[in-house]
Amino acid sequence: MTDVTMIVNGQVRGASVPPETTLLQLLRDNFNLTGAKLGCDVGDCGACTVIVDGQAVNSCLMLAGQADGRQVLTIEGLASRERLHPIQTAFENSGGLQCGFCGPGVLLSAKALLDENLNPSTQEIRDALSGNLCRCTGYTKMIEAVQDAARLLREESRAQLTHARTEATAP
Amino acid sequence: MKAFGYVSAKDLEHAIALLGEHGAKAKILAGGTDLLVELKHAAHDPEVIVDVSRLRELKDIAVADDGLHIGALVTHSDIMNSPVIRDMFPALVAAAHSIGAMQTRNLGTLGGNLVTCVPSMDSGPALIALDASVTVANAEGQRRMPLAELFVGPRKTSLKPGDLLVDIVIPKDNLGKPAAFEKFGLRKGQALALVNVGASFWVGDNSVFVAPRIALGAVAPTVMRAPKAEAFLDGCKISAEAMAEAGRIAAMEAKPISDFRASADYRRDLVAVLVKRALANAQARATAKEKELVA
Repeated sequence: MTDVTMIVNGQVRGASVPPETTLLQLLRDNFNLTGAKLGCDVGDCGACTVIVDGQAVNSCLMLAGQADGRQVLTIEGLASRERLHPIQTAFENSGGLQCGFCGPGVLLSAKALLDENLNPSTQEIRDALSGNLCRCTGYTKMIEAVQDAARLLREESRAQLTHARTEATAP
Repeated sequence: MKAFGYVSAKDLEHAIALLGEHGAKAKILAGGTDLLVELKHAAHDPEVIVDVSRLRELKDIAVADDGLHIGALVTHSDIMNSPVIRDMFPALVAAAHSIGAMQTRNLGTLGGNLVTCVPSMDSGPALIALDASVTVANAEGQRRMPLAELFVGPRKTSLKPGDLLVDIVIPKDNLGKPAAFEKFGLRKGQALALVNVGASFWVGDNSVFVAPRIALGAVAPTVMRAPKAEAFLDGCKISAEAMAEAGRIAAMEAKPISDFRASADYRRDLVAVLVKRALANAQARATAKEKELVA
């Protein structure tokens, strides 16, 4: 067995699993986080996408042991108790998802992109989503949703900046 | 996946010791994007997986006295984001970008792509066109060999049990050599190459090709050079016609097969076009560098 401890969505989680367990299996079967989906299981479809140490990866292509000691973000960790994440709001507003199976992966790929680049071009969005296959919505609405999410996040960071400046100059 | 043992190597010394100990019973895990798929399809039945993915010393990109060293565990994303590689070898950035998708590029490593050794690998052609060599370590020590000698056949390298690919070295004399990578797949995203091409040359006095290199992927059991096309270009005046002729010669040298992705004839036609394009892009690169130097 392999002992693993990692931070998942801000919480320390541990398990003892057979070495051949993938990160995806660990998340779904041991941690009961079923947002990441088992699609192709060979790294083509992106339904299992999660963010490990800031980078979007296929959790079906990582052994649980490789994630030991690392930070993992799954779709369950995106919203806070108070509100949806702006990317989720944007996908809801744009109708960017239909059946939703690919959604967790698509949103996390979008998050990885937007964490690096708050002003992505259409080409950059297409590139970031090229590892996430959708068989029902199509990609047009998704690309619009990511553009919309980028706008929401830019507004948010501007508002935070203004707020910080006001605080700093307050007597 | 079938059950296997798992051990995570702490450093290079530990990894070499583990590989020496387990020999042919071990499989090396780096990025896992190929190995895990193979394990799921039961292509191998290893007793133990030696996970080398945490070896920091294999993740550096650095210029040393003998050239540019790229650690075997450098990921395709790392290559795309490396200021050194972006400046010196945009061809390697283009090749890295053409592999898989963001998620697989974040995991997959340069060393892994070379060692998996599929004929259509995208990392090979540009590196071969830049005369790259590789460093291999085992219990006896380290050795350096030309990258071309690593490739033996489809999914077959010259590495022996106990060997670990350490880094890829582009020789000092080739730093900044104008080079290009071209690929044609059936889609823009996540497609294997029907043909891919790496090309490089220096622009000599009187605007002639110097040290031209043409490397072709997916048209032979391993990445192959096109020696006749190279010989034709060597010393020849740089022109669009010469590039097109080199493409035609390379197409005759290629040994493609017909499969469900494309016919051999189609692949030959692609070789002619992609070689011409790669040479033209390398020339554009040379011109851009010259302007940079003047400015």
